[in-house]
Amino acid sequence: MEEEKSFRVSPPESTIGGGGGVTGTIDLCRRDPSSAVDLTDRVHLLPCSIKHDGPCPVSHYFKPRDLDVVVDGSSVEEAFFRGRKLQGITVPLPEGYRGHVLESKKSGKGKGFGNLGRGRGRGVQTVGFSRAEFRNLTYWNHDIVPSSDDPLVRSFHWFSVADALHKPVTAEEMSSTSTFPD
Amino acid sequence: MGSSPLPEWASEPCIMGIDEAGRGPVLGPMVYGCLYCARSFQKTLASLNFADSKTLKEEKREELFEKLKADSSLGWEVDVIDPRELSAKMLQRVKINLNEISHNSAIGLVSRVLNMGVLLTEVYVDTVGDAEKYRIKLSERFPGVNFVVAKKADSLYPVVSGASIVAKVTRDRALRDWILDESADNMHRNFGSGYPGDPGTKAWLDHHMHPVFGFPTLVRFSWGTCTPYFKDIVEVIWESDKLEEDGSNSNGGKRQLKLSNVGFTRNKKKSEDIESSGKGRCKFFQARKLELVANF
Repeated sequence: MEEEKSFRVSPPESTIGGGGGVTGTIDLCRRDPSSAVDLTDRVHLLPCSIKHDGPCPVSHYFKPRDLDVVVDGSSVEEAFFRGRKLQGITVPLPEGYRGHVLESKKSGKGKGFGNLGRGRGRGVQTVGFSRAEFRNLTYWNHDIVPSSDDPLVRSFHWFSVADALHKPVTAEEMSSTSTFPD
Repeated sequence: MGSSPLPEWASEPCIMGIDEAGRGPVLGPMVYGCLYCARSFQKTLASLNFADSKTLKEEKREELFEKLKADSSLGWEVDVIDPRELSAKMLQRVKINLNEISHNSAIGLVSRVLNMGVLLTEVYVDTVGDAEKYRIKLSERFPGVNFVVAKKADSLYPVVSGASIVAKVTRDRALRDWILDESADNMHRNFGSGYPGDPGTKAWLDHHMHPVFGFPTLVRFSWGTCTPYFKDIVEVIWESDKLEEDGSNSNGGKRQLKLSNVGFTRNKKKSEDIESSGKGRCKFFQARKLELVANF
């Protein structure tokens, strides 16, 4: 399967907060193959917003452990954060999909890509690149037993819908569909 | 813990004392302990003269505990409540306060001993919250048992002083042998007694504070002691707190440690800080919290 090398990002026609956005490419190929980081089994989505951006000794403090509980075919884990008990499930990304941790090219501190100023260059510039990849992620609930009704699990429905909507139609499919009812 | 085959005296009318250790500290487990024996053994028990366990030195307490364990006329049980459980229960969506946790632990001990087949007829406990309310709660739960709920029960009833030693030694050992979950460098285990006033404990807290994670899970996050340390902590906004402020909170009048007191802010933040409102998107996306990302 051919892997997408990059994708194009651009601001929508009308943006709240003014225009001035830039169309650019985010490069999903590793900038430097030797610095590739695989974060599979190490990405966690917490049920809270942490007002901090930057490195953190997650693996030293965040210690999930397996409960002997299985829900909808997945094994439930338990962890604590700021004293609260969380329960989580590891969800694999579907076949053909990959998760990326993106970094904006403009500022290495991960300040974000938005509104990089009015683009003056004529060509399409690379505005960001992939720093790490992951093939699953673990999401955590506070006081709600994880299940397939959780928003993250349901959001993955989009993959099959997108496939159905955007997969190119093959010549065979075209010919097997009649266009005129008798 | 306790004796394995049920001793003969357990089929006679028995009395039990329950006491706790580690309720005040900001670190480590809280332990509920009980001591039980035949009512006929009561006089002998009194002559063993435990005194108030808090006034005894640690070595003396250890010695007494070993004596109690060796005495075949006595049985004992403990419930060691992990600090993670304490924090978790007190910070749940529907919070369980410390008194309730305490009551449940005592109830658990009585259940355990009854289920072993011991003929419990009288139980002596220290007051937690309103004494009469507590007594009624216990009596309703165990109709065949007579409960005596008193202040300073450990100085009034030998079974309770004995239970106090069981609890205290168990707690001391648990803290002494505690293995930190966390693996960060520079952590150490000189946490002192765990009491907020203990300079050793204060120094340990100072040293182990992390701006994102707070403290190691040995610490009871729900304790007011943590508040001053959380002054400069990174802000964390929880989905569950947000829902609470929207009025659907069933907690009502229960007096709880306010989350704002432990450094969690609420109310003032817009919901947009956690997730977008989903305005203008069709139901399929809204329900799945999917949004088109324009700036990131």
